[in-house]
Amino acid sequence: MNVTSDRSARHPPGAGFLEHFGKPVPRERGDFTWVYLWGAPLRIMHWIAAVCIAALVISGLYIGRPYFATAGEASSHFMMGKFRFVHFTAAAVIVMTGIVRVYWLFAGNAFERLPALFPVTPRNLLNMWRVVRTYFNLHTEEQPHFIGHNPLAQSAYTGVYLMMVVMVVTGFTLYGQSNPTGIIYHSLSWVPALFGGLQIVRLVHHALTWAFVIFVVIHVYLAVRADYVERAGVISSILTGGRFVSSSDHFEDLDLSTGHPHPWPKE
Amino acid sequence: MISPSAYPWAEGETLGQHLDERGIPRRDFLEYCGKMAVILGIGSAAAPRVAKALESVKRPSVVWLQLQECTGCVESVLRTENPSIGDLLLDVISLDYNHTLMAGAGKAVEKAKTDAMAANKGKYLLVVSGSIPTKENDIYTMIGGKTARMQLEEAAEGCAAIIALGACAHWGGVQGARPNPTGAVGVRDIIKNKPILVVAGCPPIGDTVTATVVHFLTFGALPEMDREGRPLFAYGERIHDQCQRRAHFDAGQFVETFDDKGAREGWCLYQVGCKGPATFSPCPIFKWNTRTSWPIEAGHPCIGCTEPYFWDTMTPFYGRLPDVAGFGIEKRVDTIGASLAIGAAAGVAAHATMTVLHQMKRRKATRQVPEATEDEGANNG
Ligand code: HEM
Ligand code: SF4
Repeated sequence: MNVTSDRSARHPPGAGFLEHFGKPVPRERGDFTWVYLWGAPLRIMHWIAAVCIAALVISGLYIGRPYFATAGEASSHFMMGKFRFVHFTAAAVIVMTGIVRVYWLFAGNAFERLPALFPVTPRNLLNMWRVVRTYFNLHTEEQPHFIGHNPLAQSAYTGVYLMMVVMVVTGFTLYGQSNPTGIIYHSLSWVPALFGGLQIVRLVHHALTWAFVIFVVIHVYLAVRADYVERAGVISSILTGGRFVSSSDHFEDLDLSTGHPHPWPKE
Repeated sequence: MISPSAYPWAEGETLGQHLDERGIPRRDFLEYCGKMAVILGIGSAAAPRVAKALESVKRPSVVWLQLQECTGCVESVLRTENPSIGDLLLDVISLDYNHTLMAGAGKAVEKAKTDAMAANKGKYLLVVSGSIPTKENDIYTMIGGKTARMQLEEAAEGCAAIIALGACAHWGGVQGARPNPTGAVGVRDIIKNKPILVVAGCPPIGDTVTATVVHFLTFGALPEMDREGRPLFAYGERIHDQCQRRAHFDAGQFVETFDDKGAREGWCLYQVGCKGPATFSPCPIFKWNTRTSWPIEAGHPCIGCTEPYFWDTMTPFYGRLPDVAGFGIEKRVDTIGASLAIGAAAGVAAHATMTVLHQMKRRKATRQVPEATEDEGANNG
């Protein structure tokens, strides 16, 4: 646990300027502790994944519906070729990242490990419901606070991991078709059989792309919203790895007195 | 065309002797063997081996069953403008039984079949085109008073190997498309204890059949097959990877409608539903109708007819992806996906507005107690 500054006495710089416009920034008071949450490997993987997903969605949607009409000789263009190159390169990078992430499921800290992915305790069901309510600005006083992810957010992230696994499996199945004597084709030959044909594999790969688009929209919004509502530096935590928490806060997953964070404690 | 042949291949006569008798120049025969060796993927250097094996072949017995089908496969395989040696080969090996091509009819023909099967027990090659209906006690196809299943099981009993010819014998064909009212299935669903080779397609290319027969005669065994049971020499690669329009695919030049500039320029048919990227077939190499052309060359997208269940999974034939069912009307996956994404964005905007209003109210309330130590709460992101 890294304890840094006590900001209770300080005014945020520029507060006077804002006050001039009648919008005082609420001042933070109390003992603040900087809690280090996300290890550097996790943060790096997050941003690699962000870039790769953007590249995969954009190039994937082009592959699914190519639209730049290009006149002239075929030999003077390579439009589809370039998009496919981007797609497959990003795919390779995200698979490598995924392999490191799997390793990190066992090597990371308590919030990064495998058990953290599954918030399946009865208490979390109640907490999930309370989180949903606060997202509708109802009963905000009952909002449970989490130093890591709340169970609703964690379920979404675990869902995204699973979606990515499906994307990688279906993507490499499609990819393997061009070399039917190769190892990719053979090791994934169960996939078309499972889905009921290669076209269904393609459809699933295509349809899930929209699930990623929707996820990104909501994910970015909720991160910005949390930053805005709670002013607790949640966006900064995926850059610096940690954030400030007030000693007066109660966290479901952190005991500040012992300093032992743990996701999904039993009671 | 085929049988009854003016030059029946006599019992005991070798194929070499028989071709001599018919006045086929040896040069043509060797050329043909070279071509077959190349098609089979064993290299033209193996031509003498193929020639030697074929020459000494004695008349094999072939029984050809046509079950629940449209006769298109027979047409495709046998009807060519100038009979090549390949056709001749089919001609001469043929055929102890094929009910479309035989001159005879009725009980006598059924007897000829059972006689041939008994005489060549364990040695004859069984060709099957057509599916086997399995619903209502198999009654949907009856031949000679027996169901298709009985016909097939009887003929398979003593055969050396089976060639399942065409989509129907492969997996059920058009009558096996959803909802498959007759319960049509392919040969491999019924017969489990014989080597079965699938010559896939609706219909398949004749050359594939002759090449398979040549392989069988040369090596005494069926060629190497893929998971579908299709011979790898013909079905070993995707259409998309052998296609003459592929350069336009990589370039990003696509036909959008069948009367646009791209269509006239011979661009890639991906956008009008080409299933070449999901289809394994020799069409680009073997071509059709004595190597005249093939669908994509002629400007029509591939419909994927060599793949199992293509009526269900490759449709719509002029659309790239299967339709998403269950919305009352047919909707493309992009329409649904984009609508949901826009819905999510709109929901986010509405929610953001709500949150901002709520926070403004809340902060205003807090401002009235400026010295309150109550914190704003902590993160849950
Ligand atoms: C977030 C991850 C991904 C997204 C959003 C995505 C999206 C897409 C989309 C929309 C298509 C077009 C599908 C169609 O309409 O035919 C596509 C095609 C494809 N994707 Fe992905 N993809 C992802 C990951 C992957 C991965 C990991 C691979 C692995 C190699 C992969 C390989 C492919 C292949 C081979 C195609 C077909 C390209 C072709 O036929 O030329 N994708 N992808
Ligand atoms: S026409 Fe069909 S098979 Fe040929 S390159 Fe285009 S998509 Fe592939």
